[in-house]
Amino acid sequence: MPGDPNLPNPHRRNFLRGSAGVAIAPFAVRAARAEIPALDASEDARALTAVGMTVNGQRRRLSVDARTSLLDALRDQAGLTGAKKGCDQGQCGACTVHVDRRRILSCLMFAVASDGADITTIEGLAGEDGALHPMQASFIDQDAFQCGFCTPGQILSAVACVKEGHAETEADIREYMSGNLCRCAAYPNIVAAIRQAKPLMEG
Amino acid sequence: MSGHETALRELPLIGRGHARYDGRAKVTGRAQFAADVVVADPIHAFLLLSTIPRGRIDRIKTDRALVLPGVIDILTHENAPALAAPVSQAAGSATNHQPLIDPDIVFDGQVIGVVLAENFETAREAAALVDIHYVKQPAAVTLDSPGAVTERWSEINQNFEDLEVGDAEKALAEAPVTIDATYHMQSQVHNAMEPFPTTVLWDGDDLIVHEPSQYVVGLQRGVARQLGIDPSRVRIISPYIGGGFGSKLSLTPRTAILAALARKHRRPVKLVATRSQGFTLSTYRGESRHRIRLGATPDGKLTAFAHEAWEMCSRFGAYASASTDLTADMYAAPSILTRVNIVRTDRTTPGFMRGPGEMPYMFALETAMDELAYRLEMDPVELRRLNEPARSPIDGSRFTSRSLVKCFDEAAERFGWRNRNPVPGANRDGDWLVGYGCAAATFPCFNYGGSATVTLLRSGRARVETAASEIGTGAYTALGQVAAELLDLPIENVEVLLGDSLLPPTAPAGGSMQTASTVPAIRLACERIVSRLGNRMPALADLGAAFDRLGTLSIQETAQYAAFDGKNANGGRAVLSTPDGDEPIAIASYGAQFVEVRINARTKELRVPRLVGAFAAGRILNERMALAQYRGGMVWGLSSALFEGLAIDPIQSRVTNTNFEEYAIPVNADVQMVEAILVPEEDHEVNPLGVKGIGEIGIVGVAAAVSNAIFHATGKRLRDLPITLDKLF
Repeated sequence: MPGDPNLPNPHRRNFLRGSAGVAIAPFAVRAARAEIPALDASEDARALTAVGMTVNGQRRRLSVDARTSLLDALRDQAGLTGAKKGCDQGQCGACTVHVDRRRILSCLMFAVASDGADITTIEGLAGEDGALHPMQASFIDQDAFQCGFCTPGQILSAVACVKEGHAETEADIREYMSGNLCRCAAYPNIVAAIRQAKPLMEG
Repeated sequence: MSGHETALRELPLIGRGHARYDGRAKVTGRAQFAADVVVADPIHAFLLLSTIPRGRIDRIKTDRALVLPGVIDILTHENAPALAAPVSQAAGSATNHQPLIDPDIVFDGQVIGVVLAENFETAREAAALVDIHYVKQPAAVTLDSPGAVTERWSEINQNFEDLEVGDAEKALAEAPVTIDATYHMQSQVHNAMEPFPTTVLWDGDDLIVHEPSQYVVGLQRGVARQLGIDPSRVRIISPYIGGGFGSKLSLTPRTAILAALARKHRRPVKLVATRSQGFTLSTYRGESRHRIRLGATPDGKLTAFAHEAWEMCSRFGAYASASTDLTADMYAAPSILTRVNIVRTDRTTPGFMRGPGEMPYMFALETAMDELAYRLEMDPVELRRLNEPARSPIDGSRFTSRSLVKCFDEAAERFGWRNRNPVPGANRDGDWLVGYGCAAATFPCFNYGGSATVTLLRSGRARVETAASEIGTGAYTALGQVAAELLDLPIENVEVLLGDSLLPPTAPAGGSMQTASTVPAIRLACERIVSRLGNRMPALADLGAAFDRLGTLSIQETAQYAAFDGKNANGGRAVLSTPDGDEPIAIASYGAQFVEVRINARTKELRVPRLVGAFAAGRILNERMALAQYRGGMVWGLSSALFEGLAIDPIQSRVTNTNFEEYAIPVNADVQMVEAILVPEEDHEVNPLGVKGIGEIGIVGVAAAVSNAIFHATGKRLRDLPITLDKLF
């Protein structure tokens, strides 16, 4: 894929090595390395496959190993590290993102399966002017987190929970938010944040 | 410590609940956790862990894995780079076991290899292709396994003494009323939401480590020691930590190994350990058993207290939470006899986990106290009030402040304890059996002192810098708030830098001591700044003129606080220097936990609709952060009561539930009303700000309150945690 701005120039590696320790543009991180023989995508899962998706309103083209989860593609290639890897097996919810307006566990979705998808991550939730989404603001107001690691997943789940119509009662919220673990146990505050945000989202 | 001449104002006993300093970063995904850090061209590491608990690696074949395109290196005990020193508990490591130096397997989940590859997928695939042949040996993995060896803790740890006050055996033999019961709990694992990521890179001879740490200064020293380099060459960067709970307090073997590999390959190395691997990469709360004996008069006065504990340990480690000093300090028993044992097994070494010994030891004592109350037909709250000690029952030390009875009164009132029908099994709501239970909570004060730099700019902006850790406790918020209030600035004007070993060193975010150790240093720095401004903080509008008079744009002060003249507070004990000489004091936080359980009479489904706790822990710096710590801790207590426990397969001698599906922790639907009450408490002796610890006490006592509530609901006394459904039949 010559000319793809999302793929690094192989010569760039030496430059990057020389600047170890300096934060660099994330799209350049995962170099397609010269040592890895090119394999035909149709025969080998390890071959890099190009996928296109819309992430937070921007068209992205990524080149992924067929085994790469959407979570790893977002974090390591798109440079969107808000979604977190808490278990990598669909048990904790820290990796929750929206794919085509539905909440999904991005660790359980292959990146190649998201070709053509419209994806929203925590980085894309606030307005372009930086104004927080009502759910983000409510999470701060209600102190709905402590360490903050599960928070991006909680907030994306919470937004979906309201949109799905599963935030009518506290019991409903608790039930439909139970796929997102919070070890700090901010659960009652999360419920309060969703109750605060719901009318603001609907109004 | 309280005699500082100062123009600073006194902070309120319960500080205003400002929202989290790091709130915006955390709700927008911008808070950068260790695994989020982007480094150039990293090698991805994947760990190989042992799948037997004891034996030897007979043969390890890596050829199939090594030929995989993209694999860079596979390290085993046969070819791992040598380190200058192995991990060492004596030097602050989590364990004494150094992996990759010999073929011996001494626990299940031991690191036996590191695969390095160009990407994560390849490293993981290669790990699965490594062919390992073991010679297995039988293993002891529980307290009761054949081959487990019991040793007396006081014979291993020279600094620990079992307690003997009066003649408890005689008092027990003569007591009109006695309780003699044994309590047990299964091993638990921290399972912070963030597993154990580490990214290491060399910049010439300098090492940068991106790793979540509750003690960046300790991690810095430990890694440097293992690599044989000066600590000044190691920088730990850890601005946000995705939960710690003790698991990120001590150096684990992975960090130095990864650093050595990064040096060997001259590239950064990035590890994101899996959830399952995290069960053995650090420590855990080991299985424990407690025998409690209480002697009492018919009117409820304790005459004797005996507590013998057995805690799981590894073969090679030296760790016990050994909290008998805590339980013996609770009630006014004139005779005391305690003994702590460790039981050596083929498991990894346990260590600090939120309320390490406080949680299990108090589960035992507080359930026993409830058993005594029912035996005496006495209100459990009254039994505790009756046995409230005036001074430490162990050594007569004076409690600088102790609000246990006040906590019971406030929580009982809020909970509606008075209206309960005390008869077990008599409270029914349709199909549901309803039970109320209560228990005491306590956590001893530690204080290792600390240092901090405060900078005030002419513009009225200020910065606080200290190598403290934000593990979710609200450290950024509380430390910044102290400076803002003392310097009379809007909190928005204060920037806070934490989590970097380049910053002024301070106490770890462990033992509930970081805030109490650090804020006196911040206060001292603020005091010096104010003193340079003429001993009175000018109004914000006048600050520019004041700076102009001094001819400067900024004032920076670095201050160090040495707790108790550098002698520190440890395990709830300190020595106060007074004009009349040294005085030993006992310092701890106290609380009372009340729980309502509802148990379905047919299915035994158990629900906990209400937790109410009241806590007194000296001055509270930020009401909102404190409530979050207490309530989070209370849910941890609920979790320890009903959910958490490692499941051991007795045939394979392995842990079977190393994931979030089978190692249960509460989800949102499990948690209903959790109310924490802040009981105001003033203590001028504990430190200049009168701050005690709040991070761990919330978990303490909840498990006993739950088991006591279950007894009240059903008449069934359960002494084994976790209390799973099967135990209710």
